[in-house]
Amino acid sequence: MMLQYFKGLESGLQNAIQKGQASPRKLYSLEIARLGTRLYSGQDKVAWCGITAPFDVLNAMGMTSCFVEFIGAMLASTGVVGSFIDETDQIGYSSDSCSYHRAVTGATMKGLMPVPELLIGTTSPCSGGLAVLENIASHFNKQLFVLHIPQDESISNIQFLANQIREMVNFIRHITGISLDMDRLRLAVEHTNKTRELMVAVYDFAKQVPSPTTNKELSNFGIVMALFLGTEAAVHIAKSYYDEFEKRVKSNSGKSNEKIRLMWIQNRIQFKHPLESLLADEYKACIVVDELNDITWEPIDPNTIFEDIARRSISIPFNGTIQNRVKHLQKLAQEYKIDGAINPCNWGCRQGTGARGLIEDGLKEIGVPVLNLEVDCIDSRKFTEGQLKTRIEAFIEMIDARK
Amino acid sequence: MYYLGIDIGSLSCDAVIIDKHENILAASVVPTGAKNKESIARVTDDVLRSAGISKSDIHGIISTGYGRDRVEDRLGAVTEITCHARGIKALIPNTKLLIDIGGQDSKSILLGQDGKVIDFAMNDKCAAGTGRFLEAMARALQVDIDDMANLDTGANGTLTISSMCTVFAESEVVSLIANATPVNEIVRGLNRSIASRTVSLMKRIAPDPLGMVVAMSGGVARNSGVVRAIGDLLGSKVFVPDSPDTVGALGAALIAKEKSNGRR
Repeated sequence: MMLQYFKGLESGLQNAIQKGQASPRKLYSLEIARLGTRLYSGQDKVAWCGITAPFDVLNAMGMTSCFVEFIGAMLASTGVVGSFIDETDQIGYSSDSCSYHRAVTGATMKGLMPVPELLIGTTSPCSGGLAVLENIASHFNKQLFVLHIPQDESISNIQFLANQIREMVNFIRHITGISLDMDRLRLAVEHTNKTRELMVAVYDFAKQVPSPTTNKELSNFGIVMALFLGTEAAVHIAKSYYDEFEKRVKSNSGKSNEKIRLMWIQNRIQFKHPLESLLADEYKACIVVDELNDITWEPIDPNTIFEDIARRSISIPFNGTIQNRVKHLQKLAQEYKIDGAINPCNWGCRQGTGARGLIEDGLKEIGVPVLNLEVDCIDSRKFTEGQLKTRIEAFIEMIDARK
Repeated sequence: MYYLGIDIGSLSCDAVIIDKHENILAASVVPTGAKNKESIARVTDDVLRSAGISKSDIHGIISTGYGRDRVEDRLGAVTEITCHARGIKALIPNTKLLIDIGGQDSKSILLGQDGKVIDFAMNDKCAAGTGRFLEAMARALQVDIDDMANLDTGANGTLTISSMCTVFAESEVVSLIANATPVNEIVRGLNRSIASRTVSLMKRIAPDPLGMVVAMSGGVARNSGVVRAIGDLLGSKVFVPDSPDTVGALGAALIAKEKSNGRR
């Protein structure tokens, strides 16, 4: 089912692109479809991973790698997630726990997850994701390597994680027989650095007032692009965004007719819903930045690859204290000149609900109002459109009245 | 020139007509029922008849409430948060903090000097502590919901209804009845339960509400037992306008006037 879905998506996007309908978002979606096809082809060596795994190293070793939450999001976007989530009730998951992880666990139980060669878990950003990987490892009787991600960037912490990444490389070689070719790694790092440079420029364009982006173009962008790091495809996608945004800024055309600038905290709602269109069409409100659409790391030095990749893993805003996260959100709010922030507070998620009050206080401190929603970002059956619409509309009316 | 505000809530459909001097000419409340289009027509006919005018005399209509998009010929639809804020400012001008408990949601709204919304908070993912909650409890107690306001008279107020969920709270009430707990104690416990949720919601946007002028609107504000319980918990008086049900519709009518005059 999933292989057919991804193949269909891939050919549909390729046709559209060949007919001259290429857009940055289509190229990005095409790469997602290709990844999905490879994951389900049965031909590739698959590694199920945590979100902060070093994907450029894995790509350099020829592993088809993906964080498991990607599958939860894909099942949600295709509208079939309900039955997979229900499946987990039978093994004792609480219905209030994270639906990303319940969906993936349900897919595993129903035989919809490709059999991995191995698994690379990460202790950040959440313990739920690691638990899912442990369940999948047990289900398929495959080995799991866990990267213990330190909470802050001290020299000893960076060295600690860098050494673990080296051990991870040995672990993969031990399981697959594939050694890490240092020339391939250096080439991957070149791609990573080029992608990074372009993404920084893309985000700088998005900061402009009005922003060249629209509500959906950079949705999930930062977190998913991490999967493609180290590949030419990532450079190609980032370059496409760069060219398009540069064109829009220079020609003063294609810019969204924005009246209100918003920041979206954590992840987007992954199933089809009308809220983003409502914001754009009814209120000229544009989501100009997502929390994870930021580069928080320096270019990778070819002489200290493992240390710099370790530093990158530690630097993601979901890692460490909530105070770090609040500072990062304040920085984004100021750089992007936002009028308000929306926090969907994904049910059962530490990042979403546990930090809610501190994030709200931190952003209010700099004059940015926050709308907290109660949303299951994966399970559309819990989506209460009328209730959410009222909250969002009232929030926009409030911001509008302040202007 | 006349202006019409219509508030289509989950339990009631309310309408207010004002004139160009912002005098209230007519107000009406009808049950929303299953067919809100019919309720909208009925409540509109009611207020037009009471005001002695025809629909063609109406200069502008603003709709609000969950069914706000169902009103035809409107100038616009505005959320109940903005409308209640605007309405209460006209009735109790120095209101700083407004509680609006409706049929399926409850809101606390912080108002600026000009009556604009500074901040607001709404109930999360369930309808505990709303009009629906009270309806379910009245059913369990086998009393008329309109009589619940004074049913807590004489209670010593030591009983706590611990369940937050409407379904579980109903079961808890049924158990208390079976244990021969006096009705006035149960009702006081329910009022305190709603008050506790409401004050938590208020403190999200106003951590220290003491000294603020607090008002309440929405259908539940007619229940003086709930209003008293909120006041007791806050340690201050809660002001309620004469017609708390129609505050949102009044706000909508005032916004209709402003929009018609190009002020918004």
